[in-house]
Amino acid sequence: MTSGTTPQQTLTKTSAGREATPRQLRWRSRKAREAAAAYAFLTPWLLGMVLLTLGPMLYSLYLSFTRYDLLSDPKWVGFANFVQMFTTDSRYLKSVGVTLVYVLVSVPLLLVVSLLLALLLNKGMRFLTAYRVLFYVPSLIGASVAIAALWRMIFGADGIINQALAVFGIHHSSWVGSPHDALTTLIILAVWAFGSMMVIFLAGVRQVPRELYEAASIDGAGVFRKFFSVTLPMLTPLIFFNTLMATIGAFQAFTGAYVVSGGTGGPVDSTLFYTLYLYLQGFAELNMGYAAAMAWVLVIVLAAVSGFFFWTARFWVHYGDE
Amino acid sequence: MTSTIRARAPRPIFGRKQSTNPVIRAVVRHALIVCALAILLYPLVWMVAASFRPSNQIFTTLGLFSSHPTLSNYTEGWGAGRLNFSRYFFNSFLIAILSIAGNLISCSVTAYAFARLNFPGKKFLFALLLGTMFLPFQVTLVPQYIMFNYLGWINTYLPLIVPHWLGVNAFFIFLMVQFIRSLPRELDDSARLDGCGNFRIFTRIIMPLALPAVGVVALFSFVWSWNDFLGPLLYLGRSDLWTVPLGLKAFLDSTGQNSYGGLFAMSTLSLAPIVGFFILAQRLLLEGIATTGLK
Amino acid sequence: MELKGITVNIRSRTTTIAAAAAVALLMTSCIGGSRTTEAQSAGSAGKGEVKGAIGVTWWGGDQRNRLTNAVADMFVKEHAGVTIDRQSADWASYWTKLNVQAAGKSLPCVVQLQGRQLNDYTKSGVLIPLDPMIDSGAIDVSDIPKAVVDAGRGTDGKVYFLPYGVAYDAVGINTALAKQAGVGLPAEGYTWDDFVSFLTKAQPNLPDGVAAANLQGGIPGAFLGWAQANGKKLFAKDGKLGFSKEDLIGYWNMWEKLRKANVTMPADKAAEELGPDQGFLATGQVMAATEIPGNALTAASNTLAGNNSSQSLTTIPYPSGPNGSGATALSASGFAIAKNCQNVPTAAAFINYFTNNPSAGKVFAADNGAPSNTKVLDAQLADASLAATKKHELELYKQIVAANPPIIVFPPKYQATFEASFRRNYDEVAFGRMTVTQAVDKFFSEANASLGQ
Repeated sequence: MTSGTTPQQTLTKTSAGREATPRQLRWRSRKAREAAAAYAFLTPWLLGMVLLTLGPMLYSLYLSFTRYDLLSDPKWVGFANFVQMFTTDSRYLKSVGVTLVYVLVSVPLLLVVSLLLALLLNKGMRFLTAYRVLFYVPSLIGASVAIAALWRMIFGADGIINQALAVFGIHHSSWVGSPHDALTTLIILAVWAFGSMMVIFLAGVRQVPRELYEAASIDGAGVFRKFFSVTLPMLTPLIFFNTLMATIGAFQAFTGAYVVSGGTGGPVDSTLFYTLYLYLQGFAELNMGYAAAMAWVLVIVLAAVSGFFFWTARFWVHYGDE
Repeated sequence: MTSTIRARAPRPIFGRKQSTNPVIRAVVRHALIVCALAILLYPLVWMVAASFRPSNQIFTTLGLFSSHPTLSNYTEGWGAGRLNFSRYFFNSFLIAILSIAGNLISCSVTAYAFARLNFPGKKFLFALLLGTMFLPFQVTLVPQYIMFNYLGWINTYLPLIVPHWLGVNAFFIFLMVQFIRSLPRELDDSARLDGCGNFRIFTRIIMPLALPAVGVVALFSFVWSWNDFLGPLLYLGRSDLWTVPLGLKAFLDSTGQNSYGGLFAMSTLSLAPIVGFFILAQRLLLEGIATTGLK
Repeated sequence: MELKGITVNIRSRTTTIAAAAAVALLMTSCIGGSRTTEAQSAGSAGKGEVKGAIGVTWWGGDQRNRLTNAVADMFVKEHAGVTIDRQSADWASYWTKLNVQAAGKSLPCVVQLQGRQLNDYTKSGVLIPLDPMIDSGAIDVSDIPKAVVDAGRGTDGKVYFLPYGVAYDAVGINTALAKQAGVGLPAEGYTWDDFVSFLTKAQPNLPDGVAAANLQGGIPGAFLGWAQANGKKLFAKDGKLGFSKEDLIGYWNMWEKLRKANVTMPADKAAEELGPDQGFLATGQVMAATEIPGNALTAASNTLAGNNSSQSLTTIPYPSGPNGSGATALSASGFAIAKNCQNVPTAAAFINYFTNNPSAGKVFAADNGAPSNTKVLDAQLADASLAATKKHELELYKQIVAANPPIIVFPPKYQATFEASFRRNYDEVAFGRMTVTQAVDKFFSEANASLGQ
């Protein structure tokens, strides 16, 4: 079965202008049939693309230039929403700050913790399967309302975290009630769910060829050197993948912030994640145009961040087949 | 991968140069892991244990065991509100199962096309697919709401289910594409020689072999649907339509310290299906999950 | 090919699955459908056959839901052919849901509202006035005090919701703690200054960990009480703020002094406090709480009794102004009818039943404030099995109503903007992130930017 580029010629002539032979015709019509079959298979996705993704995106772009409260028609206001976001709306800038802190702290922590534990688990030990499963459980449930509610409770003024600290003689105020610490509880929640990242790293670490380690040993490398010269470079594709996915995920976090702060964005907006603020603007205050503008700013930022990642990947990601 | 082949016999990595007893190393390693697990899972275990304690004792102890274990939190919590949690669980299951079915069908057919077929515009469409993987959902949130509102689908399950039947989860499609690509093409070729068309190849050959990927998609589809909060928050206003997350959230707001018992009991029950399903299928799934990041 | 055997299975399995999925999908769109049933004649006077389906939505916790549903069940029993689709939510989510339902013109027929948000909805014209129904007798207000009916009027003077339960903000005091602190209860007609010294005097004698008062500088209702007591205007004609920055600065400084002297709860603990029936007053961690709704007295007392039976709570009216001015404002909750309602006669009948019917009143047991219907109220008071705290709440209500309290007309966006901004900006001060003057400036610019629009 051939793969590769699809012919652009008409069905009856070859590129040299001569009449096609019956064999070529059969090949072309087979190509056409294949294309038709492919598009048939793609129908649900294409429908979804247009109706649920591209269409809404374009409509959202339009809305971002309007004032729209769902009750009356959208009113064109040009760039007013964007201007308001960056100049007069201090809550917007606050939400950007909160989200950035969340991303910049939780993603590196996630990477470090999951990598460390993947290395720790790496030795074909007994109970490996059981450990893997147990570490993975938090990431399955981390985004749920149940866990967020639990978090709100355990980080309260008399919650078990403070009780545990009291055993060591540390008296801490309420975590969810104070502006400095509320965001920290959400970061802890994000890092708590490191299991999924760890599993991916674990698989990657186990795939590093033994010969490389042997060669390094023979060259006299110690544990640290082996890690930095063998393990880490071999893992760079996974680090790239995990960092990208985690960053994008962190920018879109919602449930934890909503439940822990009771839907308000935390004491004095300290947990006002970007998505939460967008939700409040769009659905609580019915400023749908403004919410759409916020969404588009996020798209642009994420596109830039992803683009940046892909561009710098060249310099530090080593794919094994190069 | 490159490595020079040494002339001598390969030495074990940890040879006689090792100074500490391997048994001690292993014990230390296990101890560290168990410690980490204990800290990690303690809140969860504590919550489950607390759900069996009478309400007024929940906050008093850090520990797990109580002198008066009771099931009252479960019975009271279950019947909370007018429509009790049996309704919420039913709704959540219904939505989850329909979402899983939709995802499996729409994502696998799409993946088959990308992985096995050639067609004009393939590169462009695949780039589009990848692009949507990185698209934040916020940008379609408001217009989708407006659209569903216009269609009269608010207060129905349709906005939560129909998108899954239209391949809206690019991540699953991508996962399956990677997996299908790893299956040898000779199977396809021999089937084609036998006169199978694309559909038959898809159903008879590819899908049965794609079980690990199917398992991963099914599990994640279930988990995401079960835990979905923003969707039901927006679209399910009537309390008889609520899913479990909405029920839990209402619990949290309308009750206080003395009813955390009920909240914990219901939370435990809501987390049990996910954890249970996962533990049963974990070997299959963890292999599948792990390989996706690698290809 | 040996796959042939599998083919048969897969194919038939596929078709079965597909069929099942289609059926399930159809089922869900039917289960969830909110399309109203046969349209009744709209009958703006509310007269017409009482049958068919209506939707009723309200906010509340467990108990409220149970009682409201009980009354709905009674109504359905008495009117064969009527079905009621019930939608309830907790306070915070209720308003978000209502907003989007209003925007989608899919509001349930009967909508519970208060004066605080009423004008958000009258402004966008999603409710119908109830005056024609009152005139035609479909809704009976003969036993409801005029002041209370007026509480349901919008900015255009028409009645948009019929109050069924009237609450008032009160100060709650833990009598046992107050005695222990050696201060007893504030004297009748006490002023805000008296209240401050009352709290300050009590603090040193309270046990460790118990504060004299909740930190409630950020609670809008308390401020409204203070403003009224001191004769300040609340809102201007166009809906913008009617009081001056100096007024608010003075008020917040008063609370800051108390907070810094540790007379109130610390700010971070206050930030995680739950609602009044489980808040600090109810758990015995605070001696006094301003702005607890009068009807929370019973629930809070029950919580307290559950923890520590020797203590009890009582409520007293708000402090008055320097010359005894400023009576406590009333805060009424009631039902309104949505414009998109297709079954107005049944909706009107339900509202009438809920508010006026004696058996309904008995079942509902004044859960959301004192019954607006005086006959129902008196029946409650006459009931020998009435809890002492409930009795106290209702009698205090009668006292307040008799003093002809003012009705506050809230401008649109009051709840969404004023309340949120007020709380947030006070918290900035309480957490030491802004000075009082800065926070007041910020509050004024935020509030005035949206109020009244």
